[in-house]
Amino acid sequence: MADSATVKTSWADDVEVEELEPPKVEDYVDENGIRITVEYTVNDEGKKVKITRKTKRTLQKSLVDHAVAERKQWTKFGSEKGNKPGPDRATTTVGEELTFSLRAGGKPTADEEQSQEEKIRKQLTQSAGGGKVVCRLCKGSHFTAKCPYKDSLPILNEAGTETPPFQDDAPPTDGPSTSNTGGKYVPPSMRGGAGATRGPGESMRGNRDDLPTIRVTNISEDTQEQDLRDLFSYVGRVARVYVGRDRETGAGRGFAFVSFEDKTIAQLAIDRMNGRGYDNLILNVGWSQPREQR
Amino acid sequence: MRPILLQGHERALTQIKFNKEGDLLFSCSKDHVINAWFSHNGERLGTYDGHSGAIWTLDVDSQSRFLVSGSADNTLRLWSVQSGKCLYEWEFPTAVKCVAFNETDDQVVCITEQRMGYQGAVRVFNINRDGDGTAQATEPAHMFNPIGSKATVCAFSYVQNRIVTGHMSGKVAIFDYKTGEEVDNNERAHGDEVTDLQMAPDRTYFITSSKDKAARLHQTKDLKVLKTYTTETPLNSAAIAFGKPYILLGGGQEAMKVTTTSLRQGKFETRFWHKIFEDEVGRVKGHFGPVNTIAVSPTGTCYASGGEDGFVRVHHFDQTYFKAKPYGEWEILD
Repeated sequence: MADSATVKTSWADDVEVEELEPPKVEDYVDENGIRITVEYTVNDEGKKVKITRKTKRTLQKSLVDHAVAERKQWTKFGSEKGNKPGPDRATTTVGEELTFSLRAGGKPTADEEQSQEEKIRKQLTQSAGGGKVVCRLCKGSHFTAKCPYKDSLPILNEAGTETPPFQDDAPPTDGPSTSNTGGKYVPPSMRGGAGATRGPGESMRGNRDDLPTIRVTNISEDTQEQDLRDLFSYVGRVARVYVGRDRETGAGRGFAFVSFEDKTIAQLAIDRMNGRGYDNLILNVGWSQPREQR
Repeated sequence: MRPILLQGHERALTQIKFNKEGDLLFSCSKDHVINAWFSHNGERLGTYDGHSGAIWTLDVDSQSRFLVSGSADNTLRLWSVQSGKCLYEWEFPTAVKCVAFNETDDQVVCITEQRMGYQGAVRVFNINRDGDGTAQATEPAHMFNPIGSKATVCAFSYVQNRIVTGHMSGKVAIFDYKTGEEVDNNERAHGDEVTDLQMAPDRTYFITSSKDKAARLHQTKDLKVLKTYTTETPLNSAAIAFGKPYILLGGGQEAMKVTTTSLRQGKFETRFWHKIFEDEVGRVKGHFGPVNTIAVSPTGTCYASGGEDGFVRVHHFDQTYFKAKPYGEWEILD
């Protein structure tokens, strides 16, 4: 027992047996002024990893007031006393990018939003008979079941085609446009003049294709939305970026869609970016095909 | 535009101010601390420790040498901006609600609250700028008690011996601080408490914000209302953008009602209004509570907002802001 005790001083020491090699770091500045830091480390799986970082520093010069320059040299005080210069992460962080644009006319205020909502509601109630009770037989303001002419009149159609009630041999009015047949249920989308022209808000997709969208393929697995946004924002305003990802792993599948606000800018983006190198890969950029045509 | 978030406070912000060159930003809050920040990168220069109550107000002189602060611990303090040391302390029977330097930095006006049987008072102190600033007069140079509604905010006018005040009732008035006489007033400037008063650089006009959901631009000469900006939330702060014809408004519903309303309804945004056309031109989101105070850098390149959430957000305008001409090609000549 005494023997083993001298060999093993403490079980806690066991863990620290393998000395970690200090990571090798190469650091040099190449002829273009780009600083390259190469680091070799061992990852969790015991594999050796080479990390190459390239940083380019650009010096931004600005002319400031003498007093301002002097104030930058002031030593910190109070709670910050003794802290090194530069922003401290604990107190200073950078927020999310904000889109801020100034334009005339202002944004709709809450009251306006509300009034718009009301307007839509009013339209709906009007299209559905103004919310009033209308008899389908004689158009009086009572329920059809309580109509005094219940037995003598045929059912009028809701669209209100003014066919005289007793003219049974009248030609079928307006043909297909009067989609309503008696009291049969008609989905709201089909009401008021056949399903030829669908109003907004009926298709979940359709609308998405309003913006000119380009399809970017052959991008690397770890390309993020923000990377593409940064890349394409050189050309113009990017409205939306979608990166195709594997559902399980979350890794990129090598394609993305980028929507612009303007079609000419989208075309410009195709012209400029198609065939360009990005992340060691050559981008393939073209117009995105609508879902049906693919 | 990417805001810089400053987390130097644990409680609601009460006032923020830029210095004259716009490189330093001072913030005070209800948590007894005053912070000084570099506006270009958000680095904290230091803290001014010493107050033992909520700090309601602060102001910095044009040379960035002295800072004054007023607190609910009933003191008014003079600080050295560079070292963070408290140079002098005045004590009153009630809390200090508003302080302001004059244009030549040799006077400070302060408003103390009307409470516990004490009348609200306006005091003007002469600041001795010689030496290290610790030799100050104990007694105010001038003092008077405004009659009627209590004063909430104040600033020096461009006319000698005159100060402009905003009141609890919504009144805006001009006082002669030597005599304590009310020279001029506009009883119906606002319908509710005046929450903020900020002077234009030349002090010929100023903006007030009020709980009555409106902000107004007044002429200092005769208190004529030049412009009105009507919103749908109570306003806590209003600032004049420099170099561009915009007005910045901040507000939101009362802090006590925040938890019962959604973020969307809260309207915790900084709103940009066109100074001339009295029309809203843009909004900046970000705060999780009402915006308590807004300050625009005198350089016109950035602005900061302090919220009930304890954050200060510094926004450096990007190129789109300077290029934007929402009302077409024209410019205002100074």
